[in-house]
Parts: sequence; structure tokens; C-alpha cells
Amino acid sequence: MGQTPTEYVTLVSNDGFEFKVLRSAACIAGTIKKALDPHSGFREVAENRVDLPTINGVVLEKVCEYLYYNQKHAESKEVPDMEIQPELCLELLIAADYLDV
Amino acid sequence: MYQGLHGDELDFDSTWLTIEAAFREIHTKNASRLSYEELYRHAYRIVLKKRGDELYRNVHEFERKWLSTEVRETIQQLLSPNLLANMQHLGGTTTNERRVSGEKFLKGLKQAWGDHQVCMSMLADVLMYMDRVYCQDHRRPSIYAATMILFRNEILNSPVSDTDQRFILGLLNHVILEQIQMERDGDVVDKHLIKSCVHMLDGLHADDMESDDQRLYNVSFEQEYLATSRDFYQTEAEALLRESDAGAYCRHARRRIHEEADRCRSTLLESTMPRIQKVVEEELIQNRLHELVGMDSGVRFMIDNDRRDELNMIYELNARVDEQKAEITRAIQKRLVEMGTEINNDAISASQVSGSAAAPTAEGGEKSRSAVQEKGQNQQTVAAIKWVEDVLVLKDKFDRIWKESFQSDNLLQTAITRSFADFINSPSFPRSSEYISLFIDENMKKGIKGKTEMEIDIVLEKAITLLRYVQDKDLFERYYKKHLCRRLLMNKSISNEVEKQMISKMKIELGNNFTMKLEAMFKDMTISEELTSGFKRHVEGLGDRDPKRIELAINVLTSMTWPMETIGTGSEDDQSKRPKCNFPLAVEKIKRGFEKYYSEKHSGRQLTWLPNMGTADIKAVFPKVLQKDGSFKERRHELNVSTYGMVILLLFNELPAEQHMTFEEIQAQTNIPHHDLVRNLQSLAVAPKTRILVKEPMSKDVKPTDKFYFNEGFKGNFVKIKVGVVSSGNKVESDRERRETEKKNDDSRNFCIEAAVVRIMKQRKELAHQQLILETIGQLTAQFKPEVNMIKKRIESLIEREYLERIDGAKVDSYRYLA
Repeated sequence: MGQTPTEYVTLVSNDGFEFKVLRSAACIAGTIKKALDPHSGFREVAENRVDLPTINGVVLEKVCEYLYYNQKHAESKEVPDMEIQPELCLELLIAADYLDV
Repeated sequence: MYQGLHGDELDFDSTWLTIEAAFREIHTKNASRLSYEELYRHAYRIVLKKRGDELYRNVHEFERKWLSTEVRETIQQLLSPNLLANMQHLGGTTTNERRVSGEKFLKGLKQAWGDHQVCMSMLADVLMYMDRVYCQDHRRPSIYAATMILFRNEILNSPVSDTDQRFILGLLNHVILEQIQMERDGDVVDKHLIKSCVHMLDGLHADDMESDDQRLYNVSFEQEYLATSRDFYQTEAEALLRESDAGAYCRHARRRIHEEADRCRSTLLESTMPRIQKVVEEELIQNRLHELVGMDSGVRFMIDNDRRDELNMIYELNARVDEQKAEITRAIQKRLVEMGTEINNDAISASQVSGSAAAPTAEGGEKSRSAVQEKGQNQQTVAAIKWVEDVLVLKDKFDRIWKESFQSDNLLQTAITRSFADFINSPSFPRSSEYISLFIDENMKKGIKGKTEMEIDIVLEKAITLLRYVQDKDLFERYYKKHLCRRLLMNKSISNEVEKQMISKMKIELGNNFTMKLEAMFKDMTISEELTSGFKRHVEGLGDRDPKRIELAINVLTSMTWPMETIGTGSEDDQSKRPKCNFPLAVEKIKRGFEKYYSEKHSGRQLTWLPNMGTADIKAVFPKVLQKDGSFKERRHELNVSTYGMVILLLFNELPAEQHMTFEEIQAQTNIPHHDLVRNLQSLAVAPKTRILVKEPMSKDVKPTDKFYFNEGFKGNFVKIKVGVVSSGNKVESDRERRETEKKNDDSRNFCIEAAVVRIMKQRKELAHQQLILETIGQLTAQFKPEVNMIKKRIESLIEREYLERIDGAKVDSYRYLA
């Protein structure tokens, strides 16, 4: 609280991987956005860091990839498909629901 | 590790305890200790485990308890006893105390509401998954909305204290209204504070459906606001009308209207603006306008004192409540007609004063009667010109008011124009046509001198403006023709150019028909000039150079276009009776010469000589006689006299010195009509500066037995002397003359009406009576406004003369044209 929002925020997976992500991209996920909402002033706001103990590094990496992918293509029409390994699908879906993406 | 989300084990109660503890922290503003992700994860899991219903209920109950204990208590502590007391009666506390305690209450409420909103939005963030999944599936309102309703129920709709059952909401309305009242009375209040509370009321609804027309602001506050405002302005208007003048009232009303608009913007909601405006307008303007306009200091006063800014305010106020602006229009018209009638009456009484002044002198003796009459007529002319000038001043005044105060409003222009026409054409004042023509005459003779073209144009334009109001344009034409005739024949006009300018202005304003005859008069004048010079050349060509030759300047007038009654010929049979004036031989000779010359050029035309209109320049030699100042020499003068005067004087040429002629002798020799002879002798023998003849006995009146001598001792200061003949200028008509003019005018109107009727019937063949009357009036309005009675009489006469016949058995009276 009180400090100006940084350009990048840190997302942390349950196995300790840290991802530095553009704030604007990270906030595409509703849950992350709310966690970092400066009006609320939760702990995450002060630290510019969101711990996500339900998501592992592999999945979180894919999530971050998606967030950038989403931001990049937000206004374009013909969007190329994103490559997703089938074995990650289920976990990604669960994470998506949780993060409100 | 994902079991954290989907694992079987879920201890609801302990999880809830964690959440509840966190909510307390949020309420006490310690959120920075909490991890959003953790709380979100707990709520997420509960909902995922189908316990959303329990969670929802727990949160709801938690908030209800929080509001009804913690928050309500804080609010209740803010209520000072005087705040509660003055809800029933004001008094015992000063305004300032009330304002302070009111503000304290509003601040507390605002704070509580603000906190509640922030906390609930954080709660809603944490419970996002519950809103998204549980509330949507089970059609429950979002937790945020549900807790807002809680605020209304637990705080606003709660009693102010355990013993006092009045609601907080009622108190809130009361406090806001009181603050507004304080502002109206000139205090400064915290507008932002009030606005926040207003926003709260606007955000909450009276019912749980949250329909738009059920906002607490509208349902609870606004109605009360409008009602108290109405009371306030009603009382205020009453007091103001009693205590201050109309101008102050207008200023105040305008200020109030702006204030209320500002208040809606700064303190309340803009949506209230039209409603409160309506209240203020009704109470301050609509219900009071009539009284306001009629006040001693009302519209009449404002007009009389040129309070144009006040008139502007009253106009704007009126325009707010009435597109037609009926009240102010009525007042303006009333005053305008009053002022106009005053001017009319002034003119009438000025002419009557001079009339009655003549009466007593007439009793004293016959001798000075005509002179006084003369003077009276001059005064009347002055009155006439004053009338026109007064009307023009009035017109200027109202033009300025119209432009500056009424924003050049079209409706008011029409009204003002109508009022001008009303009093100018008032039946009790039949002289406007004559007066306007006289005014132009006066300006043509004197006023144009030394004025720039612009100024001349302005004067003429003004005359035209007045003419626009005059209904009886034909009467004006008659007078104008008469006055123009005198100007032209007597060379009184300053500038021919300006005369023509005037005519062309009238042409634009009134049309070709109107000016046709006037233009013909000018044409006659031009032709006459050519004739004069032509005749001069002709005479020179004859060769007999006679040093004593008389030069002739002639005006040949077409009898149809010139007003004969002015020239003095009268009607036809009058003319045959008229004795032919005996000209002296020399004059008679040249007269014959011209007659011959003229008939050679235009055969078949008959010339009638009008010696009463002419003038002559005579070179006169007065013999050496002893003067009063002792000088003894011959004096030469050039005398400018009327034609009759010339004829008379030439008689004395034949007469040996010291001899005299009596009035009767002069009349017998010259054959000059009695009236003209009297007037001419008066100017030659009575007027002090031009006494070329001496009359015996010396008196102002001329009697048939009077003797006249040539005044050998005559001495003038100038070489050129103009012997004016009395009453040759354009003057107001006497009543008798006016009756005559009007009769003549009526006669010519009869012709116009008959012509119009015949024109219409010729085209329509058959027509109902009413229709015919209407069409006739329509055709004639450009010239005058015919009376229906007059038209009826003309129709009768046309039937008698078998131009028309009545259609027998027609449902309505109808006529048929007989070819």
C-alpha cells in the first residue's frame, strides 16, 4: 500500500518457481487481478507477489504463456492456435477455473 | 498437492472461522495482513464442495450482526440531543449549533456508508467464486447487493435510539433539508458532505427489487424536498411582494432559480433540476406574475423609467413559465396604448386651447379675428408636428426596450406594432394621416437644411415607419398630395432630390398604385419647366425685343392628378361661375401668347388660369419723399408678390399720386374674388413690413368702403422684399375643412368599394353576402379599412343601378352579377 504499482508482478508456483509477469497480462486472470487490487490492500498488493500454492511450475508456466498470448491477440482476429500438450489439459482447466481466466 | 483444492477433507466450521476472523480484520482495516489468495482459496473450496449455501448465509448473518451492533452504535452516538429535539421544533438551539451537530451526523453516516462499501467490495472479491457459481446457480443476489440492502435495513431503517422509534432515514432527510435551508438563508454548508449522503440515498432502493423508480432518493428524500421548497418559496414570494419593489423581486427570483440549479449540480442530483425548477417557477413566477406586473413598481414603472434591465428580467421570468409571454405582453400593450392615447389627447387639447383662445378675442371685436385664427392654426400645426415627434420618441423608446429587454422577441414585436396601430388609428383621434403628412411637409420645408444625407434618411425613414401603422392610407395620400402640391407650386421644398427619395420610399412601402399620382405631379413640374423655357425661346424668336417684356414661368397641371380643392378651383360648376380676373394689358398679352403657343403644341387641351396660385416679381420705384430719418432719395425695390397682388399694384401705376381707390373700385376693376382680394390687400396694406399701400382708416380688417393709397414713403431694409400672402403654407385643417376632406375621402372610398365589388362579382358571377364583404375588405386593406356598413350601402346602390341582383331563394343572402 502506498507505493506505486510496479510494472511487473511475481507469480509463485507451489514448487517454488517464480514468474515475473507484466502486471497488465497477469491481471487478465480475474483472481490475480482481485488479489492485486490496490483498493483492497491485501498482503499481495504490498508485495506485488501472488503465491499460488495450488498450481505447479509447469502448469503456471503454461498459464503465463497463455496470459501473454491472450494479451497479444486481444484485438486481432485470426488467432493462431496455442500449442498445449494433452497431458497438461486437465490441470490447466482446473487452474483456469481457479484463476478465473 | 492439488488436493488442496479438490481433496475430500473439508472442515467447514474451522474454514469459516478463518474466513470470519479475516472479515473482522477487513472491517477493522487490517487487510494488509491477509493473503487474498488464501481467503479466496478457502471460499473456493467451500463452494466447490457444495457448501456455498451455508457460506452465503453465514456471511449474510455476519454482516447483519456487524451492522446492527457495531455500526448502528457508532451512528447513534453521533446523535446529539439537540439534533433529535429540533426535529419536532426549532428553537432553543442556534443555527450554528444545529449546523454543527447536523454535519457531525452526516459525516458519521457518510463514513459508515463509505466503509461499508469498501469492505463489501473486498468481501465480494474474496467471495468472487461464490458469486460466480453459487449465486448464479441459485439465483441469489450477489453478496455485495445483499449487504447493501442490509445497510438500508439495519442502519437507515433503524430507530434513532432504543427509546425513540423514529428512523435514521427520516432524521437524515430532515438534516439535509435543514442544511439546504441554512444555505438558502445565506449560510455556508458542506455541499460535498451532503452530496455523498445523497449519493447513498440514490444508490439504495426502497424495495428489494431495486427498480429504478424506487430509489430512496426519489421516494423518500426528493418528495419531501420539493414539498418543503414549495412552502418556503410560497412564503418568500408573499413576503417579497409585500416588502420590496418589482425590480428587486425579479432579481431575487432570478437568483433563486440559478441557486436551485446550482444546488442540484453541487449538492443534490441533476435529475431533480427540472422538478425543483418547476416548483420555484410556479411559486415565484407563475402564481405571482400577475401581481408582480401590476405592482406600483411593476412593468408600467419600468417602462416609464426606462428600467430596461428590469424589464429584461421580467421578460425572462415570464418566458420561463409561458411561451406566449402573455402577462408581459398585456402589460406592455396596455401601457403603450395609454402613452399613445396621452399623446393623442395632448395634441387634441393643444388644438382646443388655441381654438378657445380665439373665442374671447372674437368677442372683443371682429377686427383681429382672422389673425387670431391664423395664430391658432399655427399652434395646431405645431401640435401636429409635436404629435408626430412624440410618437416617434415613443417608438424609439419601445424599440430600445424591445431590442434590449425583450431580446427582439417576435411575439412582442407583433404586440407592440399592434398597439401602435391601435392608438394611431384610434377612432377618437382621426388626424394621424394629416399629422404625418404635415410632419413630412415641415421637414421638407425647413428641417432638411444643414442635415447630412444620413440624417435626412433617418427622418424620412421614421415618417415611413409611422405610415406603416396608419390604416387609412387613402386619407394620407389625399393630405400628402395636398401638401406636396403647395410645396411644388410655391417652391417651398428645400430639395427636389429629397422629395423624390420620399416618394420612392413610399413606393417600396405602399406600392406603385399609391405613388402613381404623386409621381405624375412631379412629371407635370418637369414638363412645365420645359414649356417655360420653350415659350421663352419662342418669344425671343418672335424678334420684337421689348425691354419691358414680362417673363413668364408657367406650371401646367393635369387636373386629374392635382388636388383641385387645394388649388382653389373647386368643382366644375364652381369654375364657370368664377369671375375671370382682369389682367393688366401687358400681362394679358403675354398670357394670350402662351395660350396660342400651348394650343399649337397640344391641340384640344384647355388651359385654365389660376392666378390665385401664382407669384410675380415687380421692380418698383418709390419717389423721393422725405423719410422719417431725414433721408431724401429714390428707392428701388424688387417686390415678390402674388399674382393678384401684382394685378392690384399695377392699378396704382395708372393712378396719379395722392389719388386713392376704394376696395369696391379695386374689386370692380380687377374682378378678383372677394376673399382673395381681402387677403391680398391685407398683406399689402396691413402687414407692417410690406406696407406698400396705405389704408384708410388704418385697421386690421378690410371693409368694402376702405380707401387705399400708394405708400410713397415706403422704406424697406432690403432690396428684395417678399410680400407673403396670408395662409399660404400648409397647416392643420380647421374642423370644417377636415369634415370636407373626410367627406371627399369617403366619396372616393365609395368609388373604390364599388370598383372592388364589381371586380369581384365579375369574376365570381355569384357570391354569398358574407363572402363578398370579406373579399372586398381583403382587396382594400392596403388602402384603408372599409366599414361594413359602407360596403352594404354600395352593394345596395349597385343593385339599384342593376349591376347586381339578389338571388331569390338562396339559403344565405347572395348576389349575382349582371353583365
